[in-house]
Amino acid sequence: MSTTTYRDLGANPYRPWPARITSIIDLTEKEKLFELRLIDETVREAFVHDAGQFVEVSVFGVGEAPISISSAPSKQGFIELCVRKAGDVTSALHSKQCGDIVGLRGPFGRGFPFEEMKGHDILLVAGGLGIAPLKSLINHIHDERHDFGRVTILLGARNPGEILFRQQFDMWKHRDDFDLIMTVDTPDASWDGEVGLVTKLFDRIEIDPAATYGAICGPPVMYRYVIDEMRKKNMDADRIYVSFERRMKCGIGKCGHCGVGHQYACIDGPVFNYWEAMNLQGAI
Amino acid sequence: MFFRIMDKLRLPDLIDGLAESYEVIGPVAKGEKFVFAPIAGAEELRLDYDTTLLPPKTFFTPPTEPLMGFSMADSDVRSESLESPPRALFGVHPCDINALGLMDNVFLGEYEDPYYKARRESTLVIGINCKPRPECFCDAWGTDEVHSGFDLFLSDLGDRYFVSVQSVKGAELLDRFVETRPITAEDTEDFQRVTREFKASFSEKVDTSQLPLLIDAKYNDAVWEELGEKCLACGACSMVCPTCYCFDVRDRLSIDGATGERERVWDSCMFSNFAEVAHGQNFRGTRASRVKYRYYHKQWGYLSKYGRVLCVGCGRCENACKADINPRVVIKALQGGGVAQ
Ligand SMILES: Cc1cc2nc3c(=O)[nH]c(=O)nc-3n(C[C@H](O)[C@H](O)[C@H](O)COP(=O)(O)OP(=O)(O)OC[C@H]3O[C@@H](n4cnc5c(N)ncnc54)[C@H](O)[C@@H]3O)c2cc1C
Ligand code: SF4
Ligand code: SF4
Ligand code: FES
Repeated sequence: MSTTTYRDLGANPYRPWPARITSIIDLTEKEKLFELRLIDETVREAFVHDAGQFVEVSVFGVGEAPISISSAPSKQGFIELCVRKAGDVTSALHSKQCGDIVGLRGPFGRGFPFEEMKGHDILLVAGGLGIAPLKSLINHIHDERHDFGRVTILLGARNPGEILFRQQFDMWKHRDDFDLIMTVDTPDASWDGEVGLVTKLFDRIEIDPAATYGAICGPPVMYRYVIDEMRKKNMDADRIYVSFERRMKCGIGKCGHCGVGHQYACIDGPVFNYWEAMNLQGAI
Repeated sequence: MFFRIMDKLRLPDLIDGLAESYEVIGPVAKGEKFVFAPIAGAEELRLDYDTTLLPPKTFFTPPTEPLMGFSMADSDVRSESLESPPRALFGVHPCDINALGLMDNVFLGEYEDPYYKARRESTLVIGINCKPRPECFCDAWGTDEVHSGFDLFLSDLGDRYFVSVQSVKGAELLDRFVETRPITAEDTEDFQRVTREFKASFSEKVDTSQLPLLIDAKYNDAVWEELGEKCLACGACSMVCPTCYCFDVRDRLSIDGATGERERVWDSCMFSNFAEVAHGQNFRGTRASRVKYRYYHKQWGYLSKYGRVLCVGCGRCENACKADINPRVVIKALQGGGVAQ
């Protein structure tokens, strides 16, 4: 389990800590990658996260939005957020400059069971922005690569222009420690890779179901189909992990917005194993 | 806990004693109905009240509440509003005290809520027993009795009160301001008699056996569509419910835009945009799915975390709902009775 900084510091869990934006990278037309540094040194040192956890980002005067931490837990002192311009808070964040200050609360939620996954093969499936929380996991695995067996990553995007972290993944395609396959729904002239939904890639891979953990993150429609493919490959329901996006207002199990079945995505998730998720009414 | 007997004529002494250190809030008449409001003396109290329009939760998590102020120039939090004046809530019924206990689980559990905590700590709760109305079914949940969460509890024995003393503050109050005497065997017998009569006076026995499981098993039942057809999505059921705690959070700027406030506001899972996420995707876009979720959460979601259902059978929602949707109706519908028209 991760440390929960608010509890450690005995602080008000609604009060955001100031964090400075130290870098902004344009990824696509809609997504930017922000690097943030908590200003208070004590808080910065206490801040430890698990891959799959999220923070609440405040732009004062506009509001807060839950955003997954996309940097690896092993990278300390900074956190990285990949943010799509979707509404009020995320648009306000997109208009910020390097050096500006925003508010940060967290980390919140349950992430991927990294320790439990060690010693196993890993199959990661991401659709679109779903790569944001999975990137944290991928980077974490990368940092402790010798603890894992075969690592397969399947990435889907609508078109080549929407593939996030493309440079990094283009580089990885040629490495032998990660099996990485990308696919797009709609190719353009530059694309020489796979075309079709991410589920199509399951024909291309071989997995040892008894030795594999799966992790899925993407748009809500994707889950059912990807899980079907994993189940066809005989993976156990409790070895498949999914991360859910729900509306969130507090991040700490109080406001009620993020209910999925009988659980709250913010404190019981956002990562659930499929065995839990299939018993959550209305989850998938 | 220990017990004392207090003559009913001593009630003004208790209220006056409270008033020395607390703002005293109690049930008062508002037209034909009742509300909890500040009182100046015992004569304003209506201890014969049936129930109040809004539950005591308004004093612990108000409809709108500032969480903090901030300055726009440097994006820093300037103030938090944690201070809470000492208050005494007088004349709270067992269901409503039990409802506070359910709120405590949420707000004082994991990630303790400092705003709620400050109010809870500065508020004295003095309970009183009641008579069930036709729409009360607290007995179905065992919330007709209350064992914790109050400082003093008064049980009406006709000419005197059987007082349960639970906190040091409650004991001190009696000690300082009110003449009481120890209980006798006769008092205890009368107390038992009053309790028996109370239990026998519920109009209808609501069968809650296996309800949480039933609600899960009947997740795809047509009953929810029928209820969804009737529901107006007005949210009144959640607003009047002593156990509903959902809220929205929003930022408000001052006129000159230099400072702002972050506030929380009561919200309801019955509102259409409650579960909406980016790009218009809505996990509970239909009214049927929202009625279902409200009951699913109250009966099963909360139970799975805290071992109790999130309803105390106060019947307020039954009075508030224009579409005749309430736990008694939902329970019967699930048990095979259909939705009565
Ligand atoms: C655990 C978790 C992790 C996430 N991780 C990421 C991430 O890494 N990167 C990322 O970009 N996003 C992420 N998100 C999604 C992000 O939180 C949403 O896009 C969020 O809504 C953005 O906030 P906003 O204020 O910009 O949008 P909002 O202004 O809230 O608007 C978003 C949408 O919500 C609806 N909406 C909002 N307010 C109302 C209203 N009052 N009435 C009706 N409809 C309304 C609208 O449909 C609107 O399109 C994550 C979400 C969760 C739950
Ligand atoms: S659901 Fe209705 S009866 Fe139950 S506590 Fe809420 S208002 Fe009272
Ligand atoms: S159940 Fe009744 S009170 Fe609740 S939202 Fe529907 S119509 Fe309104
Ligand atoms: S975000 Fe408030 S309960 Fe989950």
